[in-house]
Amino acid sequence: MAETRQTDARSRRIGLILFAACAAVAIPALIVLFSLAGKSSSPWFGQYDAETHPAFDFSLTDQNGNPLRLQDLRGQVVLLSFGFTRCPNICPTTLGNLAAVYRKLPPAAQERTKVVFVSVDERDSPEALKEYVPFFNERFLGLTGSPAEIGTTARAYGAFFRKAAAVGSDKDDYLIDHSTYTHLIDPDGNLRVLYRFEQLPETDKIAEDVQRVLDMQAPGKQP
Amino acid sequence: MAILPTRKNPARHGRDAWTTARFLCGLLFPLLLSSGPGFAGDLKIEDAWIRAVPPSSRATAAFMTFVNKGDKPVLITGGTTPIAGEVKPMITVKEGNGVMGMAFVESFSIPAKGKRVLEPGGDHLMLMKLTEVPKAGSTVPLVLTTGSGEKKVSLKVPVR
Repeated sequence: MAETRQTDARSRRIGLILFAACAAVAIPALIVLFSLAGKSSSPWFGQYDAETHPAFDFSLTDQNGNPLRLQDLRGQVVLLSFGFTRCPNICPTTLGNLAAVYRKLPPAAQERTKVVFVSVDERDSPEALKEYVPFFNERFLGLTGSPAEIGTTARAYGAFFRKAAAVGSDKDDYLIDHSTYTHLIDPDGNLRVLYRFEQLPETDKIAEDVQRVLDMQAPGKQP
Repeated sequence: MAILPTRKNPARHGRDAWTTARFLCGLLFPLLLSSGPGFAGDLKIEDAWIRAVPPSSRATAAFMTFVNKGDKPVLITGGTTPIAGEVKPMITVKEGNGVMGMAFVESFSIPAKGKRVLEPGGDHLMLMKLTEVPKAGSTVPLVLTTGSGEKKVSLKVPVR
């Protein structure tokens, strides 16, 4: 009995020592790994482009029927995505997330940020966009144009779209497959950061990126 | 004795409290489950919600988590709701280069002892031909059809 107890105590002690040894090695190793990972990764959450590539200066029509060019938005960060108003899942997710990003910005940054939704659907009139885009935020812009204008704009941003599944028996009630990237265009009109659809729920980090771009443009802080 | 530990036997105090906690959990947990939405046989449906969409919308999506506690897969083939003409399972198809599209499927299969999550940007139940556009804060009745239609699961789904 006494012997067993002693053996038990010893094996427990050995276990403890082994555990402590493992912890002593593993914990600092993990800390080093994490700090290295932190150092090597960029401060940007999205895919940042350090080179300057001017964003295509589209010329489209907004939800109020007014012409709008990208250059009209100089001085503001533009968050641009493509979609269509009958989109039941992807577009509301994108715009809902961008609305959350916008809400997280301080008022001064909101004044210098524009969320722009470009419809790739020829069925979307300015009126259709007016019923759709402000639902997510009154200050968001919905843009449409002729099929040629939309095609040119989409191509220039590397965005793809095509008619897809019909929703019912009505052949005009179809969905559209489309690119789901969101482009962050800096206040000088350059493509600066790119977000994948899956990144959009991280609205805090995107808001930080927006703020960082705005700060870079502050007087005396040219990138 | 188990519920009210006495001071006479402080050594047993901890164990008694633990027993009581376990007893209460055992009592409460099934109650919680049974009062939650959508619990039919082996299929449990959690965190169901319908997306609030702009007033002009013709369609919206319902999201939820299916948990199948049974030994056989369960199929969700669609459903009915007073606010839409059709309710159909739809999957999101991701192509390369950020292109996404959607496709109708016959059913969602929830594996035996497994689960399946419908979430924004992914798979969903599409509510089409909306007769009423759901408003945030409201609750919408939704009846899901399982398998070949023999079983129905009734839900009250919040809109947000």
